[in-house]
Amino acid sequence: MGVISAIGNSVAENHQSLKDAVCGVSKAFDLFPTKYAGLLPFGQVPVSTEDLLQQLQVTAPGVTRTTLLALHALNEALADCGISPEDIKSSETALIGANTVGGMCLTDELYNDANNKTDGSDYLESYDCASVNLYLQKHFKITGVVNTINTACSSSANAIMYGAMLMKNGYAKRAIVGGTDCLAKFTINGFNALHILSTDNCTPFDEGRKGLNLGEGAAFLILEKEEDIKGRKVYAELTGYSNANDAYHPSSLSDEGDGPFLSMQGALNIANLSADKIDFINAHGTGTENNDAVESKAMMRLFDKPPAFASSKGNIGHTLGASGAIEAVYSILSLVHQEVYANLHFKNAIPSTGLTPVLAYKKMPVSHVMSNSFGFGGSCSSLIFSKV
Amino acid sequence: MLYIHKTFSISVQQNLLQANIELINEPVNKKLQAIEPAYEKIPPGILRRMGKSIRMGVGAALPLMSETDPVNGIIMGSANAGMEECVKFLNQIVQYEEGQLTPGNFVQSTGNVIAGQLGLITRNKGYNVTHVHAGLAFENAVLDAIMQLNTNPSNSYLLGGVDEISSFHYNIEALAGTYKKEEVSNKVLYEAGSPGYLVGEGAAMFVVSAEANNFIAKLTAIATIHSTDIELVQAQLKMFLQKNLEAGTAIDLFLSGENGDNRTLPFYTACETLLADDTAIVRYKHMTGDFPTASALGLWYACEFLQQQVPQHMFKKKTSKTSYRNILLYNNFKGLQHSFILVSKAW
Amino acid sequence: METAELKLQVKKQIIEFLNLISVKPEDIKDDEPLFGEGLGLDSIDSIELIVLLGREYGIDIKDPKEGRKVLTDINTMVAYIEQHRTK
Repeated sequence: MGVISAIGNSVAENHQSLKDAVCGVSKAFDLFPTKYAGLLPFGQVPVSTEDLLQQLQVTAPGVTRTTLLALHALNEALADCGISPEDIKSSETALIGANTVGGMCLTDELYNDANNKTDGSDYLESYDCASVNLYLQKHFKITGVVNTINTACSSSANAIMYGAMLMKNGYAKRAIVGGTDCLAKFTINGFNALHILSTDNCTPFDEGRKGLNLGEGAAFLILEKEEDIKGRKVYAELTGYSNANDAYHPSSLSDEGDGPFLSMQGALNIANLSADKIDFINAHGTGTENNDAVESKAMMRLFDKPPAFASSKGNIGHTLGASGAIEAVYSILSLVHQEVYANLHFKNAIPSTGLTPVLAYKKMPVSHVMSNSFGFGGSCSSLIFSKV
Repeated sequence: MLYIHKTFSISVQQNLLQANIELINEPVNKKLQAIEPAYEKIPPGILRRMGKSIRMGVGAALPLMSETDPVNGIIMGSANAGMEECVKFLNQIVQYEEGQLTPGNFVQSTGNVIAGQLGLITRNKGYNVTHVHAGLAFENAVLDAIMQLNTNPSNSYLLGGVDEISSFHYNIEALAGTYKKEEVSNKVLYEAGSPGYLVGEGAAMFVVSAEANNFIAKLTAIATIHSTDIELVQAQLKMFLQKNLEAGTAIDLFLSGENGDNRTLPFYTACETLLADDTAIVRYKHMTGDFPTASALGLWYACEFLQQQVPQHMFKKKTSKTSYRNILLYNNFKGLQHSFILVSKAW
Repeated sequence: METAELKLQVKKQIIEFLNLISVKPEDIKDDEPLFGEGLGLDSIDSIELIVLLGREYGIDIKDPKEGRKVLTDINTMVAYIEQHRTK
């Protein structure tokens, strides 16, 4: 596993920050000039793009921050897993990545190139979402299946699911899966135009929640079949995954939460688990009025009594296309260390649900964790990770 | 493996099977722009917000989606759906200096907008995924559909590929040297011998299942690879045929993605050398133009050629055969992303 | 500007701003609800119309709940514009 986020540049740093309930979201922002710098809180990865280029020894022109975050997380995951460069190049190794902004973080370059105001910047081949994985494919000389998925905020949960399906169906022996997204003027203004960005730190599942905070980051995981592990470190088993559509509205969820309900239920079916076996839910919990109310309702529909749950959006903000993968890493940390982490900034339960998330770090037995990701276009996905 | 039961397409040509090459639509300002039908099945309240790729995708899919026999999920391939809306929103950000902006473009700019809108309009709560991996976006959607059907053999899915020539994206690709610099008629596309392709746009949609009844075509195998090495691509094709072509059968039609770009032509000729003498070679991109998901229209053509005659102007090489049972599609996007698809008819 | 004239202008602006294909100004009745029934607009349209009021009339509505009241129908919208316009 590898991860980079506002609360750490590695799995170990993220783990410590989760235990310490560190909030990486603040109004200190210096990535690029925007009217909202200092006004809105963001979960910025505290490493500049220049430093990332240097650390990762990337000298080729046209490599975006979105790609650099992905490369950073993927390097860590590959080193952690200990697979050989030959295995990475094998035609049986797939690379499935997700992102939603691609090179659109370069708002000004894109504006100039798209409107024919230049002779072309270095980034002409870097704007689309596929550019991230095309770079990684070339960098690691991957010859197996390579794919990019974009289902908005649930993208990387679907990348993990697609990787698992490739292995199950014999199209790959091993799948490198994950997601990345970086902060961009584009997404900041987009979510702001929808009036769902909070001017304060987001307060997932709190009665007085005022919206989400945007964040950035990346995470990659390496999936292998049980018979191919050959003594390598194993963190957890991906036992359930499901995707369903809410089919209600382009940018918000239905009152009854059919999509979230169906994706959670579908994942339980694949895992062959009854609802009461889930010990903890890493909720999507963005902190918007709509998401948290609907997700709560869907949890109450599926579970007699919802298990312990928490959202990590208070720690790192909403990392969009990366969130499913980053939260998969966090879910696995809960399994490995038999503990759960605090849902930050919560004060009072939503009156209609009365649900209170995990409020402080605690040790507890965790055998199965569910991780939810929901996005625009009604895209809902749930994953289940189990203890090995 | 999967079975294709229904197909629908929207493209540059009113009639993609036009036999008289003199009657085909030609590029205007170096672009082969799709002719859009009247979208009677798209609710006007939703249509008003849609950009062209979204209209084409939703508009090509809805005629295949019946209320009485709904599909179980929607699997889409589109490299750049929502790109036009994306840059429109970007232009708003610059024009109004990050002031009060209208969110409509932003909501429509996410890559999964077509599959999402289709889910919404048809109230389909099943599997819903969008693959955006440039020249292999549609191929990954095909692979996804095959895998979904392996797991759920009684299901059916809507599978599609769509992309548009958005004006902004055109500017970016033109700067990057993707397109032909000179004006070229699609009637003599393959003689151009210059770098770059003629850009097109369109949508092709399919209803697919694991059910061997009432089908148009059987898609038996698909393989993809990223490589700039011609010999490696050739070796992959050899392996693909060894693995997937049933003993005693032969490819009788090679549906080539040749697009008039002299940079990718060597890949196509290298693959042609592996074909038997009695394999016909057919090209379609003078009809459709090229774009990341043009191979979806290639698959549409393959379905047609299992049923009916190939227009003369589409042949690169003719054989004595007049009907075809096994079609091999090879597509190459920008000399890097390659796909092989094998399609056959029942016998 | 006369109220009737302003009403017609607002209707034209709504049609253009929301790209209401095949709707003519005379199709929009002054007392018909803009949202749900009637014109059938949705929550994204309501945000777009708030932006319209800002760009065309210099009206800044911060609270979306207040916005929804203003945007009940053409009558409420025009009355609000007449009282609060800054341009």
